[in-house]
Amino acid sequence: MQKNIATLFDKTRELASLTGDKLSSAFNKETHRFTITGLSRSGKSMLFTSLITMLKSRSEEGYACLPLLRYLPPSLVLDMHIAPIEGYKPFPHLQNIADLENGQWPKATEEAFGFKLVVRLKETASLKRHVLPHSEVVFEFIDYPGEWVTDIPMLSKTYAHWSDSAWAQLSSGPQQYFASQWKAFVNQFDFEQEPTEQRIQLLVNAYRDYLVEAKANGISLLQPGSFLLESSDFDWQAFGFTPLPSSITSDVSHPWFKIFDKHFSKFQSGWLTPLKQSIFKETDKQIILVDLFEGLNHSRQHLYQLKETLSHLADTFVYGQSTWFSRNVLKKEQIGKVAFVATKSDLVPVSQRGNLLNLLTQITEGARARFDGKPIQFEHFLVSSMQVTDEGSNEDAIRYKDTDGRYVESTFEPIPSTLKEMEEGSHFPVPDVSVPSDFKARILAGKGVDRLLQFLLGKGEQE
Amino acid sequence: MSDKPYTFDESPEPSSSPDSISSSNMSSSSNIRSDALYGANSDRQGNADTQPQTASQGEQNNSAVNKPQYKTKVKTQTLDIAQPETKLPQQVSEDVWEVDAQKDGISLGAATLGFGVVSLIGFFVFEAYTTLAANVSEHPIGTGVLGALLVGFVSCFSFLSFKEWRGYKQVNTAMEDAGVIRGLLANRGSETSPQKIDSVLSQHGKRFSRGSYAAHCFDRYKQQLQDDMTGPERLGLYEDTVLKPVQEKAHKVLNKESVTAGSLAFISPNNLIQTFAVVWISFRTIRRMARVYGLRPSTAGNWKLLKVLAQNIAAQGVFDLATDEVANQIGGSLSAKFMENSAEAIAAGALNARLGRALIKLLK
Repeated sequence: MQKNIATLFDKTRELASLTGDKLSSAFNKETHRFTITGLSRSGKSMLFTSLITMLKSRSEEGYACLPLLRYLPPSLVLDMHIAPIEGYKPFPHLQNIADLENGQWPKATEEAFGFKLVVRLKETASLKRHVLPHSEVVFEFIDYPGEWVTDIPMLSKTYAHWSDSAWAQLSSGPQQYFASQWKAFVNQFDFEQEPTEQRIQLLVNAYRDYLVEAKANGISLLQPGSFLLESSDFDWQAFGFTPLPSSITSDVSHPWFKIFDKHFSKFQSGWLTPLKQSIFKETDKQIILVDLFEGLNHSRQHLYQLKETLSHLADTFVYGQSTWFSRNVLKKEQIGKVAFVATKSDLVPVSQRGNLLNLLTQITEGARARFDGKPIQFEHFLVSSMQVTDEGSNEDAIRYKDTDGRYVESTFEPIPSTLKEMEEGSHFPVPDVSVPSDFKARILAGKGVDRLLQFLLGKGEQE
Repeated sequence: MSDKPYTFDESPEPSSSPDSISSSNMSSSSNIRSDALYGANSDRQGNADTQPQTASQGEQNNSAVNKPQYKTKVKTQTLDIAQPETKLPQQVSEDVWEVDAQKDGISLGAATLGFGVVSLIGFFVFEAYTTLAANVSEHPIGTGVLGALLVGFVSCFSFLSFKEWRGYKQVNTAMEDAGVIRGLLANRGSETSPQKIDSVLSQHGKRFSRGSYAAHCFDRYKQQLQDDMTGPERLGLYEDTVLKPVQEKAHKVLNKESVTAGSLAFISPNNLIQTFAVVWISFRTIRRMARVYGLRPSTAGNWKLLKVLAQNIAAQGVFDLATDEVANQIGGSLSAKFMENSAEAIAAGALNARLGRALIKLLK
């Protein structure tokens, strides 16, 4: 009898606890979907890897990292786990950690990955904690190749429009040198011949060669970026297209125009539209990652191009403040908080980071112009996903282990705080840093991630 | 050129002027061109640069546009030292701190008491010795030893008095610091420079006694401090890692002490023992709370706490009388005794909590 009562009591308690957990999951859940927009090589994958490592180390191993993340106090975090997002491949976090252990940086993303970070927090309110013992904070992240994001603005253009602007672009600025072979190829090309599959491929491959070379030399606005990836679902070998001289694009009856116009439409409807719907869904928070070193590594013109690219990217998204009605009834989200983030900030000395932040502020001017008249909260951040450098012998120097395994010191001349200040014909070569053996400690020593998350999750105390 | 009707380069034909070509192209796509990256001027510049390429076409395009060459603004040199290893941050789960500190050696108080007792015994021995050796008037060694012991006692007692005075001053200074920090927190330190905030917080942290919980938290604050943090961020971090945990710990300790006070009052057989128990637990509460805050309110100097303590004892006395009277009226049954003791226990716990709250108000 006593045993039965004990069993009944245990079951009741278990049921109560289970109900409490379910109620908590249903009513005490807070979901944040982040759109992380960044060009290729802007450090998205490394940021994700660091973020997961930091949050896991903080909640599971109790390491005192992310000190400014007051939204998730360590004393209240019960546990944290990673869950997949339906329709996406899981983010290869363990593979990336294994790569770091083997002294290699995580591989560039060539397909879309999705994952959720679910953090369970202790409920502190005295009455509520008996009914709803915990609350859940869910972060949804999607990692995708940066090459795709540059293609999204092509959705709003016709083929002729895109071709003319792309041709104008490759004829100017720092990319004109890399485009010279492509232009020479076009000049030699006989467009009087019918556009057969073989001839189309010849032209597309020549254009792709230009894209590959320009990308390797720091050019940021390259369209279509999807042609650079073998893994893209769009079959660019069969349905490829290139920009054509305006003398052809102005003649709508020209066979080359007609075939490329058809391929361009297929690219838009069969690739870009589904891509935008699945990956670039409207959310309420956006992180725009900017690798200023791509510009500083080359020239002032590269920085101007980066500014323009960001401005184009901002056109892709819907900005505004979501109301309860629009979010829950109309199921329509608008981006209300934007963080502009310069990654790899540990690659410059601490004394120069103020200038780097000012430069970032100027680079984002065009993108921010899209927020005019809208209640958008935005902030600029310098972030290092991993502190790979050490202090140098003076305030303008940093030390690091280069890819040849040598421990070196780099001394920087002042980094320009505005685009105008960047001296013509000079550059700041990006340090070729190797993966440090103590990478976990250096990830946990990474800076700015806590500040960034606090801004995005907080209720506006920073503003 | 004659067999190729289209000119594929956007640059002007050699026979045309740049302006005329530019305008002919712009007629169909002027808006498109303005979309291009560097605006109209840079476009023209770009076209001007490519003019000779169109004239000769083909391979000559490569020679017309030179590969960009940049002057480096970073100097790199190899060091002959190994890269230092970065340590993992401290683990918060290792946050084990006990109210009672590990005793390492003899405390000064014990030494004073020891000297006193030894002096007293010494005088007794000396007296015995002089009695025994009444006839011997010259005993310089014994007199010297006893004199030394007495000097030790007087010295330690003087030093103890000085420490009491210094402790009193320290409490007052810490209270002033706390006021400044409260002011900074109220306006999030937005108008104060990070250096000033850093200096105020460091001064406040330095006053915490060694081994206290506050000092332990302050160490953690210093470990998490990063050089790029702004003033308000430093203040926020200090609040999260020092002020809040210390406050929470103080309340936990106070709750525990109040329960102990209530339990002692409940089991005390008579009022005299109960009063002694309340006095003892009150002093223990003050000492333990002081260990949390890292500030020792000096026994002689902090009259505010003693005043609260005296009030508590008086209130407990009055409450004892009242409960005794109620118990007498009800009768001498066991239930009456139980009720009386329960009421006294609750009162003792509440009064101890009052003392603790006064202490928290004083020290936070």
